[in-house]
Amino acid sequence: MLKHLAQRMLMSVPVLLGVLLLGFLLLQLVPGDVARVIAGPTATQDVVDQIRGDLGLDRPLVVQFLLYLGRVLQGDLGYSMINNTAVASELAQALWPTAELVIACLIWAIPAGIALGAVAAMNRGRWIDRAVIAFSVIGVSTPVFFFALILMIWLGYHWQLFPFLGRSGPIWTLEGLASLVLPALTLGLSFIGPVARMTRTSALEVMNADHVRTARAKGLKERTVVLRHVLRNALIPVVTLIGLQAGFLLGGAVVTETIFSWPGVGRMAVGAILSRDLPLAQGAILVLALCFIVINLAVDLMYAALDPRVKAA
Amino acid sequence: MSDTALAPALQVSQRRPRPGMLRRLARDRLALAAGLVLLAIVLAALLAPWIAPHDPYLTTRRRMLPPVWEARGTWTYLLGTDSLGRCMLSRLLYGTRATLMVGITATAIGGAIGMLIGFIAAFYRRLDGLLMRINDVLLSIPAILLGLALAAVIGSGLPAIIAALVVATVPTVARVTRGAALVVMAQDFMEAGRSIGLPDHTLIWRYLALNCISSVFVYLTLRFAQSILLGAILSFLGLGAQPPAAELGMMASSGRNELFIAPHIATIPSLAIVVIVLCANILGDALRDLLDPRLRKL
Repeated sequence: MLKHLAQRMLMSVPVLLGVLLLGFLLLQLVPGDVARVIAGPTATQDVVDQIRGDLGLDRPLVVQFLLYLGRVLQGDLGYSMINNTAVASELAQALWPTAELVIACLIWAIPAGIALGAVAAMNRGRWIDRAVIAFSVIGVSTPVFFFALILMIWLGYHWQLFPFLGRSGPIWTLEGLASLVLPALTLGLSFIGPVARMTRTSALEVMNADHVRTARAKGLKERTVVLRHVLRNALIPVVTLIGLQAGFLLGGAVVTETIFSWPGVGRMAVGAILSRDLPLAQGAILVLALCFIVINLAVDLMYAALDPRVKAA
Repeated sequence: MSDTALAPALQVSQRRPRPGMLRRLARDRLALAAGLVLLAIVLAALLAPWIAPHDPYLTTRRRMLPPVWEARGTWTYLLGTDSLGRCMLSRLLYGTRATLMVGITATAIGGAIGMLIGFIAAFYRRLDGLLMRINDVLLSIPAILLGLALAAVIGSGLPAIIAALVVATVPTVARVTRGAALVVMAQDFMEAGRSIGLPDHTLIWRYLALNCISSVFVYLTLRFAQSILLGAILSFLGLGAQPPAAELGMMASSGRNELFIAPHIATIPSLAIVVIVLCANILGDALRDLLDPRLRKL
């Protein structure tokens, strides 16, 4: 188990290095003198020289990259070019809203998707099965922003059920919770389709397995068979899917945050890129990549909890 | 006797596209409908300059007209106008053109590179490990992140989006191709071809590639749907096509300001994306089921 986990963590090192390298090269592309740009147009030559020395900009590129790595490992991500605040602290503030959004989405979308898939599998070939299939195919074919726009128009504007602009407060306040509803619904809608489909397929597979026939043969109640013998085994591919879809989920979060003005990392990344605030963009992309890696590690841990065979391996 | 004379006799494989596949596809009515709709959309996009009723960039003073089926709609502007008084139908046609172009270009370039890598990995087993490790790393970078990073590096615009989609397509296609190619590599005719001394390039292109291309093409249909979806999302974020150009994702995004006064400006282009992606997905699923009947019974 530990070995398995260690292996997985090692696997993510090249990804992280790749993202860091990309982030580093990003800053090389700032036109003109980076030190001058960071210092601002009114800075004196002394200040510019000092920044150049501090950042090691007069050294070879390889050394610069290593210095950059060192700074990142110490949590120093540089300063925003637009409001001159520390990128690390800006991102730290944005991290929690993003976590709120993703967790709220998963909390409703995963059970809903699994339930839909299980119901479809139990009623295979009937209209409810077809409805679930149609729903999930349409779901995976719809860009996440379309869900957002429709929810905004109907639940937000016409029926005025929930606020749809920004985050009104922390999640434990009523206003904060209300403002989270529409973003979480949006992100969940784009996630529910693949989950339902995968659950259905894998439940159908497991239903034909020998151990399920045995369970039925020894006279267990249908409910027990489905919940204890089918679903638990059917969930393993679903968990894999959630890991595979983690990137998709983060992408969806970026779009959702942007549309709903949700103050998270994704919106920060898009805003920074559009305003060419490269240090901030670099930091935000790095944090998103880290989130991706963390989600995948969490999925691996869940695997072991669901499937004892992984633990043994 | 030249080695090419022997080639047809050796080209027997279970993976060869079966005759009548199109006919069997036509029997699946949903897939047929999806294919026809997709064809109509592609034609409409190709013919945009000739069939568009108005200049898609011409601004008029008739702003935010609703579509014809609503109370204030007019027949002059079937789908209404946007916030600058531009004809929505014309912009939709041109926008579909740009969106399809992004999807097709990215799928074609990414697909070609991915296939090449897949063939090489399956044929030269010594390179397999290295290529697939690099592939795994690429595979694990989420496509949206790639899009964000590339837009930051080369600046927003369609080239950035296409580049991101290509990089996202390559590793997935490479993996699928390698899988299909390994099956073909195990067939007797590959060994036979090798034993009569055919050069590597003949073995790869005439035997290996031709025998696994159909399953890779089916995958590319599904990948095309993904690319359209992703490209639209990146454009929606403002990282792709820049105004005044018409592109579906960007059009949907620009309709956000008038979302409650004139919802059609944002919803019509979004719906167009859904229809394109949905048709491509249905078609791809049907093709895959035809090619691999084992998946069908589920």
